[in-house]
Amino acid sequence: MSKKGRKVRREGTFGIIVGAGMMGALLLAGLLIPLFGKYDANEISAEQLMSPSSTHYFGTDMLGRDVFARVFDAVFVDIGTAFTGVLIPLAVGTIVGTLLGISRNRRVNSFIGSLIDGINAFPFLIFVIALVAFLGAGLGSIILALSLVNWARYARIARTRAVVVNQQGYVEAARTLGYKPTRILFRHIIPNVSSETRAYALSDFIIVIIAVAALSFLGLGVNPPQAEWGAMIKDGANIITLAWWAAIFPGLAICWAGISVAVFSEGLTKRIGEGNQQ
Amino acid sequence: MASSAINPGAPAEEISAEQRVPDKNRIALRRTLIGRFARSLVVAFWVMFIAFSLLRFSPGDPIRLALGTEATEEAVAEMKKLYGLDQPFFVQFYDYFTGFFRGDLGTSFFSGREVTAVVAMHLPVTLMIILLSMGAAVLISLPIALSVALSRRPIITYFFRTSTSISLAIPGFFLALLGLLLFGTVVTWVPAAGYEGNFPSNLKYLWLPALVNCFSLVPILSRVLHSSLMDTLGEEFVETGVIRGVGKLKFYWSYMLRPSLAPTVVLVSYMVGIMIGGTVVMEMIFSLPGIGRELIEAVSTRDYAIVQGIVMIFGFIVVFTSFIGDLLGYLLDRRVTLS
Repeated sequence: MSKKGRKVRREGTFGIIVGAGMMGALLLAGLLIPLFGKYDANEISAEQLMSPSSTHYFGTDMLGRDVFARVFDAVFVDIGTAFTGVLIPLAVGTIVGTLLGISRNRRVNSFIGSLIDGINAFPFLIFVIALVAFLGAGLGSIILALSLVNWARYARIARTRAVVVNQQGYVEAARTLGYKPTRILFRHIIPNVSSETRAYALSDFIIVIIAVAALSFLGLGVNPPQAEWGAMIKDGANIITLAWWAAIFPGLAICWAGISVAVFSEGLTKRIGEGNQQ
Repeated sequence: MASSAINPGAPAEEISAEQRVPDKNRIALRRTLIGRFARSLVVAFWVMFIAFSLLRFSPGDPIRLALGTEATEEAVAEMKKLYGLDQPFFVQFYDYFTGFFRGDLGTSFFSGREVTAVVAMHLPVTLMIILLSMGAAVLISLPIALSVALSRRPIITYFFRTSTSISLAIPGFFLALLGLLLFGTVVTWVPAAGYEGNFPSNLKYLWLPALVNCFSLVPILSRVLHSSLMDTLGEEFVETGVIRGVGKLKFYWSYMLRPSLAPTVVLVSYMVGIMIGGTVVMEMIFSLPGIGRELIEAVSTRDYAIVQGIVMIFGFIVVFTSFIGDLLGYLLDRRVTLS
């Protein structure tokens, strides 16, 4: 296997491994450092605005909290919120879009279709900001707002794809064999539609990671003192000329998370592209 | 997409527009235009309806929230009456809808300012940032995409694709902060605060936000432009150009860029939404008096009338620019056959 594997190493493997490794390392650090780290993320001390050193790797912030502990304490808050905020619209949008794509009712189709266009017309960040404003700040509202906004983008992709999939030979074959419509929908149509929406979800994940941080940066996210990258950058921005580390390290953490997904998705795209050529 | 059409032909200037668009196509064009326009109107109606119903997503009574917990029942009832919120939902929407055509989007819950006045005052700054960043994005992307497409070296293409996808993962507000740190403190090229409204002098305040903002657009734009340039390079008329030995500039423009522009132009018009989102963040960081900062302030004070109005205007801008973008995309590449 190893000899053969080396010879036909498939295109994109490097990106997939590097991307997954970067994300895995971040998640592992987010799990272990809050458990075994020297400092508590919310522990206020008299050592304010200490520059990075061997005791405080990333320095301390205005309240003397350890930036290193806070950056990794926020991993699951940020990545978890973004992940849920991608997963729910992915599921809802794929199902709604598929149902629209295979339904024969033209009036319902054009009605919901124009609603989808209407939702998609709003600038993404603006719509999420407005929804969070009406729902009230907090991570739960962010996830709800992301779901209410983003399902429409997935639905649009799924609908276009479902129209094509619905006419494929294997779906016709399943119908001829007399399978139940629900079985055809879930076993034959949705898996083929969702390959497209899942690919979009990966690039959407990057946008949502940034959006979650941006919302907190604008003061619409977590409640203090919870550590969160966007909120940390917001606090650090005010004192950036005194203590650059309080804002720069959480910013680098966002970049790390985003780049890991980008590299992973670039590798995956290459591999799928290679698969299509064969 | 467009360049896969069957009719390669010579580039635009040699055949007049009359010959290129047969009558059948022109009728189809007219019909498509009317259809697209009607669709844009329907979408715009939905935009208004969604923006209007946002208020209903609010848990609890928005007026009570706006007035605070100490407000008396009478005060709440009076304010509700003032804003017509005691009416049934569809009556309220009808009033809002007809009000829109009279140029009335309601008034602020607190300051009593008219929403249209707020928009008219702050929108120009935001539009200026968007235009500047889009212009900068086009100016930066064109040479990048062109040189990568012409080099044809796999390593350069690989580097280009990797660096563009990585730079998409860097949040604009972080980049803005780095820019502020560099240009505000290390070298003082950016004024610390303040703003002047007139055109040439406001560039001093706007160049950095626009530059940072365009960094979210450059990777997407240059990638799409690159791939449509690669499509164009595969077409026969490019070879014709080489064989005929046309001048360099004319070759770049008429044989390469011009036939590849349509998808990019359509994309730029779709990107306006992303630009608007980025601009809001930039206005907050650089404290510019744009409409985005107005939105965030209204959000934090729960001034729902303002939020609703601004969100709707942004939605309209996106609907409008997508329509224009589709139109321009067609005019730039008439090989797109209309059905």
